[in-house]
Amino acid sequence: MPDPAPQHHRLPGGLTLLLEPDPAAQTVAAGYFVNTGSREESAAEMGASHFIEHLLFKGSDTLSAAQLNERLDDLGGHANAFTSEEATVYHAATLPERTTELLGTLTELMRPALRPDDIATERGVILEEIAMYAEQPAVRVTDELRADYWGDHPLGWPILGTAATVTDLTPDALRRNHRDRYGADRVTLTVTGQFDPPAVLDWARTHLHDWPAATRPAPPRLPARRPDHAAPRHPGTVRVINDPTLSRVQVTAAAPGLDATHPLREAAHVLADLIGGENGALYWHLIDDGSCDSADLGHLEYQDAGTFEGGFSCDPDRAAAALATYRRVLAGAGDLITPVAVRRAARKLAVGTLLRAETPQGRLFTLGMEFLATGRTPDTAASVRRYEQVTPDDVREVLRLCPLDRLTVVALGPIDRL
Amino acid sequence: MPARSHPIPAHLWTLPGGLTVAFERRSGPGFAFDLRVPVGSAHDPAGQEGASGVLEEWLFKGADGLDARALQDAFDDLGVRRGGGVGPEATRFSVSGLLADLGAALTLTASVLNAPHLPEDELPVLTDLARQDLEGLLDSPADRLATLARQTAFPAPPGAPLSGYGHPASGTPQGLEALTPASLRAHLQRYGQAGSVLGLVADLHPGQARDLTAAALGGLRPGVHEPVPAVLRRRVQAHVTDPDAEQTHLSLTLPGVPPGHPDWMAWQVALTALSGGSASRLFHAVREERGLAYAVSASPVILGGQGFLGAYAGSTPARAPETLQVILAELERLPQGLTPAEFGRARAGLDASVVFGAESMRARAHALTRDAAVFGRIRSVPELRESLSKLTLDDVNAFLARYHPAPDVTTVTIGPEAHGPGESLTAGNAEPIPLQPSDHPSETLHA
Repeated sequence: MPDPAPQHHRLPGGLTLLLEPDPAAQTVAAGYFVNTGSREESAAEMGASHFIEHLLFKGSDTLSAAQLNERLDDLGGHANAFTSEEATVYHAATLPERTTELLGTLTELMRPALRPDDIATERGVILEEIAMYAEQPAVRVTDELRADYWGDHPLGWPILGTAATVTDLTPDALRRNHRDRYGADRVTLTVTGQFDPPAVLDWARTHLHDWPAATRPAPPRLPARRPDHAAPRHPGTVRVINDPTLSRVQVTAAAPGLDATHPLREAAHVLADLIGGENGALYWHLIDDGSCDSADLGHLEYQDAGTFEGGFSCDPDRAAAALATYRRVLAGAGDLITPVAVRRAARKLAVGTLLRAETPQGRLFTLGMEFLATGRTPDTAASVRRYEQVTPDDVREVLRLCPLDRLTVVALGPIDRL
Repeated sequence: MPARSHPIPAHLWTLPGGLTVAFERRSGPGFAFDLRVPVGSAHDPAGQEGASGVLEEWLFKGADGLDARALQDAFDDLGVRRGGGVGPEATRFSVSGLLADLGAALTLTASVLNAPHLPEDELPVLTDLARQDLEGLLDSPADRLATLARQTAFPAPPGAPLSGYGHPASGTPQGLEALTPASLRAHLQRYGQAGSVLGLVADLHPGQARDLTAAALGGLRPGVHEPVPAVLRRRVQAHVTDPDAEQTHLSLTLPGVPPGHPDWMAWQVALTALSGGSASRLFHAVREERGLAYAVSASPVILGGQGFLGAYAGSTPARAPETLQVILAELERLPQGLTPAEFGRARAGLDASVVFGAESMRARAHALTRDAAVFGRIRSVPELRESLSKLTLDDVNAFLARYHPAPDVTTVTIGPEAHGPGESLTAGNAEPIPLQPSDHPSETLHA
């Protein structure tokens, strides 16, 4: 297990460096965690964040896309990236003796050329990605649920954008988005696993001090929760999307939760597990009797908001009864909060947190994402302790703050109504 | 270099009843085990497709005096993470948690296999859930394709007593209807020590590990170990029309190299150059250069002790013919060999993968089980890295000159029927056969 207390440095140019060495690890992992995502987009530029993520793999002024890909593969092929509503992350891992190449190549990736020809080719790839997800019913219905729940707030927009917006995004618009949102104050380089911290710090001071600041501040994010703002809209409605080509019904539901910095965040995860985990009440009420072949509830966090989100899938003629059961289980969640059940769920989450920290890559994501969301850098022991210390009163307080008695619901399948 | 230089070699022993234990000592607060019982969906009796899948669910409906709920609570009280499930050739029970709970986790897992209650009133619910799973897979063209590809490439021989590789773990509608409590209880007799492997990683003395595993698993019934042969039907081409699909999905199956064969490592390097990273041939030609697909890949598939090459891509219908042609062209030029740079990258990539694959206890436990079951021995990390470092470009290119799988490709596609003249989805010298849309949904192609 890593030593406690990750090191936190701010480089002269404004870029943040997080280092958590583990001398016993077999590998080293590094990631650029960029504090930007789809919630900053305008409606016309929906999908720009994800498009930029793809374009960073198309090479820099000194490397072609093919050369960059070759260098990434040389490291061992563990490079990848992802885009969420609030974070864009580029990461790779390799053997300890190649730490300098790892940092150098990952940094070259962060200085994209954004060439028009590459943009044209990559547009085709992203349109294929959109088409791929469009035939996955569970993805479709989740996108529709978020649209209803968040209203016109960008948290409700698809991260990939739409075929129309992706087709229309110009090289100029993509360059502007990149310039505005990839300045030094938005970027954190996190390194975990087996490496020499002073050497990496020296490397970073030499190579990252001139990271450009954003040429102008990006437009402020719309707050996700503000009394005078429309978000979340959370209309409490049930919308049915009829698709006669499907054989099953997918139902999703959302209700307000807690934000990433809330002191009861871990208790919210315990509550979600009691209701919608693998051994939760939804399993015993909906799957154990065969009504549904899946049923769950989870807790999602954003920087200033959170949701409980879940759903189920079932035969068309069972959907109405299953939704009634789903609502009843959530409304009766108070009865699930017993000392034994809370201890059991909290222990499972604590052990899971500990085991995830076993590899440098597992630790990289936990540490980097926590820092982006909260600005904190807890060590693994502290994260585990936060779960172990959850009490039944904490969980009851979450339920008081987030009563789960009013749901926004979307159903997709061969039905007309619910 | 690392203070904790990897291994301490793995220990391999066999319990008196026949179960093999592959143990590796590793410092750390956790443990991981992976119990692989060599009974999977291919062992479903002919006409009872779905038996293994439904039985695995039934096993967890109570065991050794605990009802279904108490059994789940007992696992949860240990705080363990569980995985596994039913594959074509084996059923796996994987558990990881904190070391102090290892004995209890092994005992609970053994009780599920050896002392299940098998309550009869649960069986109609479980077969109905399997039926729902089959219908759910129909809603995903990519999932349908995986089953269609298996049916086409690996049909069961007529009259075979076991149903083979042509259906997913959830079975077929007809097979599920034929399941009875008695037939599943008879099927359970296959699940025992014969051919089973437990991969275990924990910070224990080997003697302690031996005592723990013997105490927990030594009482398992004998069981039956009966591998199901996989024979590739070559040069077949099939298309299924799905008018609502957004993309056309392509599956290609070709001959490969069996595990343990002297060419095995050369084949792995060649496949890594073909599809191992973002500079690999398929990714570069299909996605980077032409933007034809988001998902394109090729990987080794091991079935029935044989190795095969499975490739997949999804493209919108107008682009799919070009995607297929580009993939076929890449397969066609394999015999010409790799460049030195490709070879170097592929070997470096595999070298790192060997270390990554052994890094977490869960991954290592799975690798131990797989090595013992598929290779018949444990390949240590240093041994694998050494055999990679000894491999030369000449070795790989000499192998590739003899390995020419493209003419034997079997191709299955699913998508809207939107191919204009000159755009047909043809794969060289394959013979087209009609394939009706099937009720059978699917499982992952790359086991």
